[in-house]
Amino acid sequence: MSKVIGHTNGLCPRCLRTIPVTKVVEDDKVYLVKECPEHGPEKVLIWRGEADYLDMDRYAAVHSKPARIAVQEKDNCPQICGLCPDHVQHTCLVVMEVTNGCNLKCPVCFASSNQFYRFNPSLEVIRGMYQTMLDYIEHPIVVQISGGEPTIRDDLPEIVRMGKEMGIDHIELNTNGIRLAEDIGFLRRLKEAGVDELYFSFDGLHGDIYKQTCGRDILAQKLRCIENCAEVGMGITLVCVVSPNINLDRVGEVIEFAKSKVPTIKGVHFQPISYFGRFPISPKDSDRVTIPDLLRAIEDQTKGELRMDNFIPTSCSNVHCDAKSMSVVMEDGSLFPLTSRAFGPPKDTTTVANKTRREIADLWRFIDDSVIFKEEDDGTMNEWGDFVDRAKTHYLTVSAMAFQDAWTSETDRFRNCCIHTVTPDGKLIPFCLFNINSMDGRTLYRHEMWSKFSENR
Amino acid sequence: MVKITIPAEVKELIAKRGIKESDVNDVINTAAATKRYIKKGNDGLAKKVIGGLTVYVVSDLSGKGTAVVKTAYAHKMSLGKIVNVMSETDWKTPDGRPIAQGHVEMEYMTVKRNGPALVDPATGDSWVEEYLATKTLAVAEGLFEKKRA
Repeated sequence: MSKVIGHTNGLCPRCLRTIPVTKVVEDDKVYLVKECPEHGPEKVLIWRGEADYLDMDRYAAVHSKPARIAVQEKDNCPQICGLCPDHVQHTCLVVMEVTNGCNLKCPVCFASSNQFYRFNPSLEVIRGMYQTMLDYIEHPIVVQISGGEPTIRDDLPEIVRMGKEMGIDHIELNTNGIRLAEDIGFLRRLKEAGVDELYFSFDGLHGDIYKQTCGRDILAQKLRCIENCAEVGMGITLVCVVSPNINLDRVGEVIEFAKSKVPTIKGVHFQPISYFGRFPISPKDSDRVTIPDLLRAIEDQTKGELRMDNFIPTSCSNVHCDAKSMSVVMEDGSLFPLTSRAFGPPKDTTTVANKTRREIADLWRFIDDSVIFKEEDDGTMNEWGDFVDRAKTHYLTVSAMAFQDAWTSETDRFRNCCIHTVTPDGKLIPFCLFNINSMDGRTLYRHEMWSKFSENR
Repeated sequence: MVKITIPAEVKELIAKRGIKESDVNDVINTAAATKRYIKKGNDGLAKKVIGGLTVYVVSDLSGKGTAVVKTAYAHKMSLGKIVNVMSETDWKTPDGRPIAQGHVEMEYMTVKRNGPALVDPATGDSWVEEYLATKTLAVAEGLFEKKRA
């Protein structure tokens, strides 16, 4: 029995044409059903639990339009993007790629690193991308320097310093950590230049996981990188790509590990595998992890320490794109969740985007350090004071983001996206959309854009 | 009705704390009518739950039938039972019963923890002092509310 619960548009995974999409529920599972006039039907699982899927809508934020847009043509989302007048959410996080080269060659890579062309923008081109952010986005401006692997550039500290000097508020570095494990001096220079935290790929605690995700066992380098970060005082968000066939059954131990490394590790961000960039298979539903699948695995593997109910949408992107929890790590190592669906959605959904940017930038400065409780009370039991003191430093976010690929793409989610890739020609394009490719490898934006600004191989 | 005076600097302070003058008046008049407040010298400390807030007012009660407001503050947490009673303080009830330092349950958004308060073991009533309400509890409340968004 199939029930229709909505309509939108999306992309054909074969030709990337914009086609109608129907959302249907079958056996309490939500599917997108697409019909391409040339390539026929596609059906893909996107969520488990109809009631849960629909319940997310109460978290939807009042939209906050981009301050300025680069493209005036409308009614052609997502084929013409930059952003355009149809976009309904402004930028919270900018992804800026500074190379497509990498010191690994992973079988799965959203950026198809080391393939097709050599994108290695000059400092002047990078200055231009920073300027685009300053021209189009209100402060605080939060940037993730990405690639490829940005640390293969020896001038990375200079790139970071330039951003800070131009007025970028917060810079995080998306890295595999290989160079930072081997070269603590380079890590120090990056911190001194202004990197605020690492967005550090970390798929698990077993070498065999990395053999599958990265092509070789690099666990020792991953652990060394974390030790180096602790030594230089660099905060880390662990980024764990989750695949049902590789590590879905091991997400709990990543959280347990993160707890033991707080406050160096500030968060764990799980990314259910998306099939864009370089991936070795044509995905079936059994190759997918939906957000409810992931949250259920977390609840099971943490033995209920983090429950599905502790995860709420950030309300900034589309409510079906992400989920986050925030907890204090208590003295006994247990998590004390601060988030719960029982609290209901935010009262004020008009300023969610601003709050999200501030929250990324202020993740570890959310309590004023001048508020000192020990000296204020009478030295006896003040559990609320102890709790707040603890929360200042022993704080862990566990979050999830389901990136879209050509199969799971929905125009509504693109239009609602607040994570944007900046391009050298002055555009901001939703991250998923920028990276999506068809089954034969064609992209709408990535390869077309980067090859224009690349040295040919 | 008590003749209530709120000096300009106190008006500014309570406005910053999001407390309305009408609520301050309500707290004082209710305390005068019910005799449920505590005293230390000329100072009186009264409280009343108004909406989701517990509003406290400290006033100088030296003039007959008058109250000059010295400060007001509030918290969102609800106060529960007294969990322990420690030494007596200089605070007393209007009929002279001593008020002790102690600890009470404080609950916010389903989370319950203990914190220091002035307590009246005879009635189970309790009063949070200004330092705790405006710092620890305010930050804790803000922490939860921020995380909701």
